[in-house]
Amino acid sequence: MNLLELNGVTKRFGGITACKEISFGIAPGQIMGLIGPNGAGKTTAFNLITGVYDLTGGTILLEGKPIQGARPDEIVQWGVARTFQNIRLFRNLSVLDNVCIAADLHETYSLSAALLRLPQVSRRERAIREQAMEYLAAVGLEERAALRADSLPYGLQRKLEIARALALKPRLLLLDEPAAGMNPEESLDLARLIRRIHEEYQLTTLLIEHHMDVVMALCEKIFVMNFGVRLAEGTAEEIQTNPDVLKAYLGEGYKRAGN
Amino acid sequence: MLDYISGVITFSLIYVIATVGLAIFTGFTGLFSLGHAAFFAIGAYTAAILTYFYDVNFWLALAAGGAMSGLVGFIIGYPTLKAKLRSDYFAIATLGFGEAIRVLLENLDITQGARGLPGIAAETTLPVTLAVAVLTIWVARNFVSSRQGRAAIAVREDFVAAEMMGIDLFAVRLRSLIFSAVCGGVAGGLFAHYVAFIQPSMFTAYLSTQLTAGVVAGGMGSITGPVLAAVIFVALPEMLRVANIWRLVAYGLLLVGIMIFRPQGLFGYQEITWRSCRNFWKRLTGSRAEPAKGGQG
Amino acid sequence: MFLQTLLTGVAIGGIYALMAVGYSLVFSILNFSNFAYGSIIMLGAYVGYYSMVQAGLPVILAIAFSIVGAAVLCYINERLAYSPLRKRKASSLYFMISAMGTSIFLENLVYATIGARFYSFPEVLTQQNLEFMGTSIGVLDVFAIVFSAVAIYALHFFLQNSKTGIAIRAASYDMEVCALNGVNITVLIGWVFILAGALAGISGMFLGMKYMVYPTMGWITNKAYIAAVIGGLGSLPGAVVGGLILGVLETFVSAYVSSVVRDVFSFSLLVVLLMVMPTGLFGKYLEEKV
Repeated sequence: MNLLELNGVTKRFGGITACKEISFGIAPGQIMGLIGPNGAGKTTAFNLITGVYDLTGGTILLEGKPIQGARPDEIVQWGVARTFQNIRLFRNLSVLDNVCIAADLHETYSLSAALLRLPQVSRRERAIREQAMEYLAAVGLEERAALRADSLPYGLQRKLEIARALALKPRLLLLDEPAAGMNPEESLDLARLIRRIHEEYQLTTLLIEHHMDVVMALCEKIFVMNFGVRLAEGTAEEIQTNPDVLKAYLGEGYKRAGN
Repeated sequence: MLDYISGVITFSLIYVIATVGLAIFTGFTGLFSLGHAAFFAIGAYTAAILTYFYDVNFWLALAAGGAMSGLVGFIIGYPTLKAKLRSDYFAIATLGFGEAIRVLLENLDITQGARGLPGIAAETTLPVTLAVAVLTIWVARNFVSSRQGRAAIAVREDFVAAEMMGIDLFAVRLRSLIFSAVCGGVAGGLFAHYVAFIQPSMFTAYLSTQLTAGVVAGGMGSITGPVLAAVIFVALPEMLRVANIWRLVAYGLLLVGIMIFRPQGLFGYQEITWRSCRNFWKRLTGSRAEPAKGGQG
Repeated sequence: MFLQTLLTGVAIGGIYALMAVGYSLVFSILNFSNFAYGSIIMLGAYVGYYSMVQAGLPVILAIAFSIVGAAVLCYINERLAYSPLRKRKASSLYFMISAMGTSIFLENLVYATIGARFYSFPEVLTQQNLEFMGTSIGVLDVFAIVFSAVAIYALHFFLQNSKTGIAIRAASYDMEVCALNGVNITVLIGWVFILAGALAGISGMFLGMKYMVYPTMGWITNKAYIAAVIGGLGSLPGAVVGGLILGVLETFVSAYVSSVVRDVFSFSLLVVLLMVMPTGLFGKYLEEKV
């Protein structure tokens, strides 16, 4: 069974159809790429999956369970984590606190325990901090735990977002243009990071990206959107040689893998 | 003289309790309310009616006042927060709520309308208020340094991102509202048994303003900051014999001034701890220290 | 009785409409509820009152002065209390606190300096009534309705036909794009507040003449918020319609139910509408900028 499945997903905003009859599936453990020109509906698809927007039509299944219409925070609790195209860190909080807020999801204690500061609270708080530091270490940010999130350089902010998403212990990770604004060297570094956490945490990943080197290096399967509809679907090889994709997005002069 | 000082301190502590509640609501969860005086009033009247007409034990009446306020907070909060009103309309709705409470208090028989309730037992003493205030501050600080407190801060900072962290916005906001309502109610009960006579006209926007000013001046994101600000706002005008009206002029100017020049308030997002005092001193004397905010270190 | 209540409702509705338009003007451009608007209305009334009673000016000039005075004050309010926040891209919480602070400052400044006395205008137009189909309506009310209609139409004309007006309408759709097209946003916002202030001045004068002038008269602006929601947030015609509907509904509630619950009714209507039909009649429910 696919971990994530979209069936005929459609989203209309008044007169504009942002997504029309989008269907695809991601098998557990796969890394899939979602590519296409700007305005193709990719981030809308993310917003639909994460419950930020309501569907106009179709269904979204998470391990067979329909999640459309659920609240965003419920969907996160069921195991979906995302990063944002324009970073949404808690800018004024510390790097560590950003991750702790995510780690809070799984380390629970009741409100009354919190208000009375029962012993278990101190223990759990320590556990939360340790967990958070582990995730920071996974992305290489453990040295900067006490700094303000917005004092980090751009590339590190993106990594912090990823660490934060990891701390939610998701089954499905949605990355929205994680390499945006990075130079080629940083992008490849990021690709390595994503590959590493994919292996380490067994994370099924859906990736929106415009940096084709990152996409082609990482993704086993690619879904191409254009003007809200499916343009093509297949492996990296297939997509790079698909004439429609070349015409609409990659460009006929696109250097194919292996050439 | 000692009596006078003790009175001022008692009065300040009553405001501290209500201000701490509002600090959790506005300072930590980021919701703006224009009608918090209503919770104060509900607590005051509930407690007073219980002790005056029904001879209920003072502490029970106090708790009942807090509980009643909390209940009303729930009733008001449920529809308005569920509807995800944008924050200015939420504020306007709280204004309407305050108005509704006022109308209620002026027209119910048991509250004796605009004439008010005289002759309430003067049970509120300095030790009593101190105990309640310390308890409130302790609970508030526990809240702030817990995962629930972090969730509230996340909601204030960026509620879209907070939802993406699995935080239930509605539950967090409602919880903060109820907590602030209970604090306001308890403070109101203490108030009623201190001034021994209450009437609806005592619970006006003036009170809501003073509480809000305390939170803003003290620092949104701090508990100890608003505590100190609340004390200053009661004690200072008292000592300077400033008339109520000019106090309000000052509060208004203070609110705007802080927003423009120092939005983090007097004490910023830090709690007043030994460490922060040392940091402050270090910064004053030129050494480097740039800790992140959040009240958790 | 019915017709009388209706006419009274329309009269007060006209003033609500005026306030609602002024409020909506700012709201539709900046996505922000100016809680200090009421105090501007109040100051407009005081300016008008002093012009007429102290300086002995004729009504028309007093109205002119209140328009100008309120416009200037509204502009200054924006410059001092809101501009810095906008430059910092502060969140709406900060704007609300600043607006509230301004309102409290102004109201109580008037309390502290001029005093809490309620002032009433000399009986220029207040006492005469027109007989109309078995009901009577005050000349003042008629004048208010006519003046409001003229003011709103003038605003409409300005927004449709002048360069600044068109820029304002463009900005209400997308401020950034507007700026990219060469519009000086700071100047534009200044104009918006001047216009809103002018409307506030007129509202203040008529409110003062119909009722009385006192420091907290600005609280009636709450009705403007409600009227704007009824008509639809972000819609100026909606504000007019909303104001009239609110005025009429309220007056009926006051006449047939009880005047005590009038305000509770209005606020409850607000909450219910926001839960059930937040776009109101004509509007687009603007999402809060995050």
